[in-house]
Amino acid sequence: MRSYIIKRLIYSVIIAWGIMTITFILLRLGPTSPVDRYILNIAARGENVESVKQAIEARYGLDKPILEQYLTYMGNLLQGNWGWSFSTSQSVADLIATHWIYSFQLILLATIFAIVLGVGLGMLAAVKQNTKVDYAASIFSFIGISIPGFWLGLMLIMVFAVYLGWFKTYYDTNYPIWSLQNLKQLLLPVLALGIGELAGYLRYTRSAMLDNLRKDFVTTARAKGLPEKTVIGKHVLRNAVLPLVTIIMFDLGSVVFGGAYLTEIVFGIPGLGQVSFNAIFANDYAVVVAVTLIGTFLVLFINLATDLIYTYLDPRIRYD
Amino acid sequence: MKGAETLNNSYFNNSLAAIMAVLILATSLSACAAPASRGSFIEGDVAGGEAETLNWILAADASSFGYVGYTLESLANYDNQFNIILRCLAKDIEVSPDGLVYTITIRDDLKWSDGSRVTAEDYVYTLKNLMFSDWLNYNYRDDWHEDVGGQKVFVTPAVVDDTTFTITRKTVQPEFIYTLYGLVPYPKYIAVKYEGDVDAFTRAREFNDLSYTGNLGPYKFKQWLKNDKYVLARNPQYFLGKDNGAPYFEEYVIKMFGTSAVMQAALEAGDITYCGIEPQNVAKFKKMHNITVYTVPTRGYNIIAYNQRANGWEGLRKKEVRQALSMAIDKETIARKISLGFAEPAFSFIPSSSPWYSDETVVKLGVPPLNDKQKAMQMLKDAGYEYMKNGDRDILLGKDGKPVKLLMVTTPGSDVVESMSLLIKQELAAIGIDVEVKWVQWPTLLRQYMMNREPGTDKEPRYNNGPLAVSDEAWDMTLMGHNTDPLAPSGSRVFFASDGGLNSFGFFNEQVDQLFQQIRSEEGLDKGERARMYGELARMISEEQPVDFITYTRANRGFQSNVKGIEPGINMGYNYYLWRFE
Amino acid sequence: MTEVKPARSGKRLMDYYWERLCKNRLSIVGLSFILFLCLIGIFGPIFAPDPQKTDFTIKNLPPLGFSTEESVYEISTGESTTTVIWGQADHPLGTDSKGRDMLAMLISGARISLLVGLLATGIAIFLGTFIGVLSAFSGGWMDNVLMRFTDIMMTFPFFLLLVMIVFIFGPSLAIIVLVIGLTGWTGAARLIRSETLSVRTRDFVTASKALGASDARIMFYHLIPNVSSLIIVMATLSIPGVIMAEAALSFIGLGDPMSTSWGTILNTGQHSLDTAWWVAVEPGIMLFFTVLSFNFFGDGLRDAFDPKASI
Repeated sequence: MRSYIIKRLIYSVIIAWGIMTITFILLRLGPTSPVDRYILNIAARGENVESVKQAIEARYGLDKPILEQYLTYMGNLLQGNWGWSFSTSQSVADLIATHWIYSFQLILLATIFAIVLGVGLGMLAAVKQNTKVDYAASIFSFIGISIPGFWLGLMLIMVFAVYLGWFKTYYDTNYPIWSLQNLKQLLLPVLALGIGELAGYLRYTRSAMLDNLRKDFVTTARAKGLPEKTVIGKHVLRNAVLPLVTIIMFDLGSVVFGGAYLTEIVFGIPGLGQVSFNAIFANDYAVVVAVTLIGTFLVLFINLATDLIYTYLDPRIRYD
Repeated sequence: MKGAETLNNSYFNNSLAAIMAVLILATSLSACAAPASRGSFIEGDVAGGEAETLNWILAADASSFGYVGYTLESLANYDNQFNIILRCLAKDIEVSPDGLVYTITIRDDLKWSDGSRVTAEDYVYTLKNLMFSDWLNYNYRDDWHEDVGGQKVFVTPAVVDDTTFTITRKTVQPEFIYTLYGLVPYPKYIAVKYEGDVDAFTRAREFNDLSYTGNLGPYKFKQWLKNDKYVLARNPQYFLGKDNGAPYFEEYVIKMFGTSAVMQAALEAGDITYCGIEPQNVAKFKKMHNITVYTVPTRGYNIIAYNQRANGWEGLRKKEVRQALSMAIDKETIARKISLGFAEPAFSFIPSSSPWYSDETVVKLGVPPLNDKQKAMQMLKDAGYEYMKNGDRDILLGKDGKPVKLLMVTTPGSDVVESMSLLIKQELAAIGIDVEVKWVQWPTLLRQYMMNREPGTDKEPRYNNGPLAVSDEAWDMTLMGHNTDPLAPSGSRVFFASDGGLNSFGFFNEQVDQLFQQIRSEEGLDKGERARMYGELARMISEEQPVDFITYTRANRGFQSNVKGIEPGINMGYNYYLWRFE
Repeated sequence: MTEVKPARSGKRLMDYYWERLCKNRLSIVGLSFILFLCLIGIFGPIFAPDPQKTDFTIKNLPPLGFSTEESVYEISTGESTTTVIWGQADHPLGTDSKGRDMLAMLISGARISLLVGLLATGIAIFLGTFIGVLSAFSGGWMDNVLMRFTDIMMTFPFFLLLVMIVFIFGPSLAIIVLVIGLTGWTGAARLIRSETLSVRTRDFVTASKALGASDARIMFYHLIPNVSSLIIVMATLSIPGVIMAEAALSFIGLGDPMSTSWGTILNTGQHSLDTAWWVAVEPGIMLFFTVLSFNFFGDGLRDAFDPKASI
């Protein structure tokens, strides 16, 4: 077991290194320059654009050969130095340390929201198969899967913040993270981000429950006269939950780098999604590479954790 | 719920005000007439306008200087009529009669955070050891260069005494004084620690949290959460607030929004104090009793540049053809339909708000009587082009006998620019010219269309590589927003002079070069003479039409009505430290 | 699990699947809407006005039955004149801030969305099938290399990569399609691989091997047809993701500025949420119904191909 984990870890590091290298090369080999954004401003102040461009690129070492830049960056990274973000003028480590919490709280709440409601409604639909409740749940799940989260976010802002005035139109960072106001203002973003996941879990839970309900051991349990609650809760759900873990874990990767990214932009939440988005436009490669790397490690870690949870939940599985 | 939100805010404000009231009772008995300071002034800004660094000497963007300006006054600024308002200056800068020596006298009550005085030495150090240094590569060093016998040399600063220093030039440049007014010092006692090490200087904590600014600005740095907000706290020591207790806001906040729609909704809800308002929303906001909207002139305008280089349509190299095209484009319609009236027709690179603007000399193409499609077509015929009938449409034929098809490149994203390009396409279609509008992202526009080099050479591409150079991709017109400094419009020589660094459209005219030269020489010292030369320059450029100036933009600024002390105008922020809630 | 039959099993099988599909009413609804979209995507532009045609006299027209106000400012007097604007029958869904007809733009958007959806999915599924089958069939180190590569691609933060490449190389439909296609094959590759592995051990494959059939022949004549139902279902269910990705990209301002897609309309719409709500609402609704239809249809297909599913 331990050798398996070590093997997986080494493997993860290699994947992360590959992704980091690809990102770095893409950003540094592209034709864009960090100076692009300022051309007009520089020109409006009567400066020679070329000399300013050279000066800025020299200051951040962007004029060196790409291999040298790459080796310098790698060397710094191995020493734990994430580099300097020239578009926000602070160290990348500081930047991430300040902003991660905004992404994290959003993703965490959305995931909890999706799991609790998704699994709950899924169970309900399965138990009440072929009733109105079941059909309603099914329609709801189709809607949830199909609705574009960023558009839903816009609509929620338009209706609940602009027209009804129930919420602020933007995310207010003056409220402490641990406050009711913060929870309240996260309601709409969590809804916009979580609804797709919720619908997915609902559908999955329902079909997994139905599959298991047909199994022999359920019939046996029922025949033994166990109360329905025990049958559903202990036998059916437990078996259905196992593959659900994979799905949730797998989804988390796409939530971190897809939905959350857009939700942050729509609602103006200053999380890592917005940070990396702006960094791409500013050609601030150190930030982009760092955020990509963190996301990658997160996904890899989640994959590993999933495997380990599997062995715990299902003793039949052994990795050797 | 909306009510609860507002209540919450006012509760917050009241409690702060109560605390402040106690403080003020204790401290400002002498200034009993001064308004009490309270509340947070929250300015809305749209993402993309955020500053890059507070270490301003490294900045290339415009916002960074603005962000620092709240904590650090420059030597002087201007009111809405462009009168000089002294800030760190004790008296106005004295210029020697030959225009070569500038004597600057600063106030004697300026302090750094450690209590030490800001002296002339700090200014001269900042110039000599930082801005002019090789290791730091200050982006705007060209402002401080002069051309002596073909060599670029820096001007010479020298300390006279604690509060006086001089700057000596070898050549006369009457508009150099406006560069001087903007000067801001670095604290020598801190900067010496990092001198020579650009990495250390870039990362220096003091420079990135502005903890050195002492009593130099109305506010002190408090917090900067990127993509979200920049928070400044009232500086009770502010040197201009000694007698009047200014500034009157406890906090000044710049809050970033993703879209202007959300930002304006926040203004409407009272969550922010001030933001710009889009033309289509002005009427709605003017009706609200809690919002005051000021319509003010700006320094901005929109232009179409005609590509006069070898890879543009050959017709564009003729003055008459450019005039004909500009004549067909109706500027009043653009001002009304696209800017909803918040713009006026433009004819010159000098904004109409500038003291150097001369309405009499410019050729007013694009408004009646010089907005005439028939006449434009006649001019094209006179220039040697023929028309072909196609149904009821006239189609302009090029020298090769084929219909003329022009390519207009522009960037997507700005609603005004997008709408304008489409309207111009319609206007030119009416004189038989088919325009294809192509939207490309900014970096592509720069690299493929604006940068140029002589074909067959492997020179680095630049924005102006001489008259023989062309861009990689062929183009005919481009549309973009511009702005000119109303006080020193000769900065626009980068676009219109033959050696101008951004003359990517290839306009080469010796007389224009000469006038720019003269304005920046002894001849320009006399203000009347300079005004005459600007008038002549504006006439020449408006007649030559290397670019079509479309409209000067008006801005709408919406404030909560309880903000008092605002003087609406082009530089309405000049006295912001005196604004207050009532 | 797919029902395994030798290839070219004839028309009867298709009829059987069709019958099963027809029993699922939602999937027929979905299919009908998709066909309707295809029709307006192909023929709509012939009848509808040019979606890029601007007319400032009719800008910001609300949909039929709604009204808004517009004011024009007079610099000389400082006064504004306000007019109430009602929706017009010529522009039943209204116009945007440039006076472009919303209906025409939505039709153009249908075309773009379907085009991007089909092309990118086509590339992804083709690559995925190829890599999956190749990997399963060759086994050994080749299998290992291909699957590790798939792992890397799977771990890559897809949307970030998309934004990065499109920003760097400039937004054009071709680049968007290529990037989505070239990065979206991993799921298909894994699934097809595992499915192929299970099919490979079946008797008829062993039999043809014994008869001396070449690897390529076995791959193309036996394996791919046998996983084809799986491929169809995967393709149908991955189209909505692609359409959403394109819309999201255009929404954040990285859409092809030369074409009108639902995402680009949404991008302009978000800036006028407070004044012209219909510009943001309408393309979103189209997007939603399109994605919903593909999900209905894909779901129905899966059940139809799945012999165990009770319909």
